Amino acid sequence: MNQPFLDVKKISKIFHPGREVKVQALVDISLTFDRGEFVVISGPSGSGKTTLLNIMGGLDSPTAGDVFLDGERITGVEEKFLSRLRRDHIGFVFQAYNLIPVLTARENIEYVMQLQGRSRSECDRRTREVAEKLAIAELLDKLPGEMSGGQQQRVAVARAVASRPKLILADEPTANLDSKSAEGLMDMMQSLNQDERITIIFSSHDPLVIGKAKHSILLKDGQVTADEFPG
Amino acid sequence: MFFKIAIRNIFAYRKRSIITVILLACTTALLVFATAYMDGSHGRLIQSSVEIYPGYVQITHQGFRENPSLENLIFDAAQVSESLQDFPGIEVLTPRFESYVLFSSAEKAVGGMFTAIDPEKERQVSRLAASLKQGSYLTSTDQALVYMGSELAKRLKVGVGDQLAFVGTGADYSFAADTLTVKGIFQTGLFDFDSRASFVAKPYFDRVMAAENYATHFIVQPVRPAEAATLEVAIGQRLGAEYESASWQQTMAGLVQAMRVDSIFGYITLAIIFMVIFFVVMIYTLLVVYARVREIGILRAVGTGPGQIFSMLLLESVLLGLVSVLLGGLIGGALAYYFHINPIVFSGFDEQFKQYGLALTAMPTDFAPLVILRDMAVMFVLSVSATLYPIFKVNAFKPIEAIHHV
Repeated sequence: MNQPFLDVKKISKIFHPGREVKVQALVDISLTFDRGEFVVISGPSGSGKTTLLNIMGGLDSPTAGDVFLDGERITGVEEKFLSRLRRDHIGFVFQAYNLIPVLTARENIEYVMQLQGRSRSECDRRTREVAEKLAIAELLDKLPGEMSGGQQQRVAVARAVASRPKLILADEPTANLDSKSAEGLMDMMQSLNQDERITIIFSSHDPLVIGKAKHSILLKDGQVTADEFPG
Repeated sequence: MFFKIAIRNIFAYRKRSIITVILLACTTALLVFATAYMDGSHGRLIQSSVEIYPGYVQITHQGFRENPSLENLIFDAAQVSESLQDFPGIEVLTPRFESYVLFSSAEKAVGGMFTAIDPEKERQVSRLAASLKQGSYLTSTDQALVYMGSELAKRLKVGVGDQLAFVGTGADYSFAADTLTVKGIFQTGLFDFDSRASFVAKPYFDRVMAAENYATHFIVQPVRPAEAATLEVAIGQRLGAEYESASWQQTMAGLVQAMRVDSIFGYITLAIIFMVIFFVVMIYTLLVVYARVREIGILRAVGTGPGQIFSMLLLESVLLGLVSVLLGGLIGGALAYYFHINPIVFSGFDEQFKQYGLALTAMPTDFAPLVILRDMAVMFVLSVSATLYPIFKVNAFKPIEAIHHV
C-alpha cells in the first residue's frame, strides 16, 4: 500500500485545556492527502479549518494525535526541526497576507529562498519566473504598504511557491479579496498546482473557490462531516 | 538579508530608534564626562597635594620614616646625589633637611618647621616658589633670610623685612640659634602647612645647624609623574638597603584612600544611573519588540529559526548601541577635551576645596582617549544586554501565538 503524502491521524485540539471553559477545536480527525492534490477544507466559521491547517503546517501542536509528512512525524518534535521543515517543505498563504512590512515584494519572495541558502542568481531567476506567472512583475520593488490587498495576496502566494515547497497551506486566501481578484488568484494557484506538482490545501467558505477543488473536506464543530473527490 | 531587515526596522521604527539613541548617547556622554571629571579632579588633588611640598618620590635613610630622629639622617647627601646622577626617569633630585624650632618675634613665640632647601631645584619639585604672596623667594646664597607660610607669619605677627629669632637643635645635638629676616611669605592654600612651614637656603642652614652634607630626605621629581611608583622601586634597587624610597602613594596613603573612597562613591552614583537607564532601555525595548511580535511570528512561520530571529534582533540592538555609544563618546569626549583645556572654575568654593587639600579652584577634566574608549565599551555592553531579556521573551512565543498576538 502506498504511503500517503500527508497523513493526519486522530488529531484533537483543545484550547485552554487547564481552564474551566475549554474549547474543543478539533475532534479526533483523520485524513490523508496524496502528492499534487488541490484540496479545499470548507466549513462555517469556528469549524476548525484554520486550526487544522496550522497543525498540518507545524505552526501549532495538537492536544492528541499525529501528523506525518512524507512519512516523517512532524508533531511532538523540536521547534528547530519545525523551522527547517517550514523553510524547506511548506509554503504558507495567510488570510491577512502577512508579508514582511519592511521588505519589498521581491525581497519578500526571495526571503525563504535566501534562508534555504540558494544563490543570488537562482533567487533572482526564480523570483522573475514566479512573478511572471502571478502577474506581479511590476510590483516587485514595492513595499507591502504600497500594494492593494489582491496584489499583496499574489505576492504572498509567490513567496509560498518560490522556494519550491512540497506543500502549500493557504488559510482563506481569498477572504479579503473581491470576487474577480479571488477567481484570478484561484486560477493562478490551480495552474501552479498543475505546473509545479505542488500539493495545495486551502481553507475557504466561498462556494466559487470550493468549486475549483478536486478534493473537498467539510468540517463542522471540529469534526469531518464530508471527505469527497468532486472533480 | 537579516542585516537588511535590521537596518530597515531601525528606520521603520524611527521614534523608538531616536529615543533609544538619545537615551544611550546621553548616558554614554555622561559616563565619559563623569569619568574624565573624576580622574581630572583626582589628578588635580594629587598635583595639589604632592606638588605643593611632599613630592612624588621621597628618599630617606633606612628607618627614618618610622623614627625621624637625628640618628636616622642621610649622612652623606653628596653620595646619594652621585648615585642617582643621570638615573633614567629622574628629572630633578634635591635634598632637604627638615627640623623643628621655636620662633620668636617681638610679640610672640611659636613653634614651626624649619627646613633647608636648594631654592633653585626646589622650584622644580614643589610649588613653594609659585606660592609667593609677599616679598621674594629664596636664592642659594641667602644668609639668615627666611621664607615662611602666611599663617605662620600671621601668628608671629611679622611681615616681609621683619626680624625674628629661632632656637633649635643642630644635627650634632648642639644648641642652634640665630636671628632671621623675613624675605618672603608664601600661601599654598593649605592652612596647616601655611601655619607651620618656613624655609631657608641649605648652605646657610648647614652652617647654623651643623648639617653639612646631611639631609633628612631627598625629593625626586620624575620625568613622568604617573610612573612614580615604578621609579621608586628602581631607585630603591640602585641605592640598596641603607636607604628607603617611597612614592607619593606610600607617603600619602591617606590621600590615596580618600581618592578611592571618592571613586567608589562616584561609581556607585554612576551605577545607580546606569541601572535606571538599563531598565528604561529594557522596558522600552520590551514594548517595542512586543509591538512587533506579529512580524516575528510571520518570520518564524516562513521558516526563520529562533536563533536567526535572535541574531536579527540582536543585530538591531548592536547597531543602535554602536551609533549611540559613538555619538555619546564623541559628545562626552568633546566635553572632556574642552574642560581639559578650559578647566571648570568653582569660584566661591575656596574654603571647601582647601579642606580637601586643593589650593586651586580650577578643575580640569582628564582627557584620556583610552579611558573614553573603555567607557564607550562599557556602555555598549550595557545597552546590548538591556535588550537581551526582551529578545528572549519575544523569541519564546510559538509562531502561531506570535502571529495572533495583539
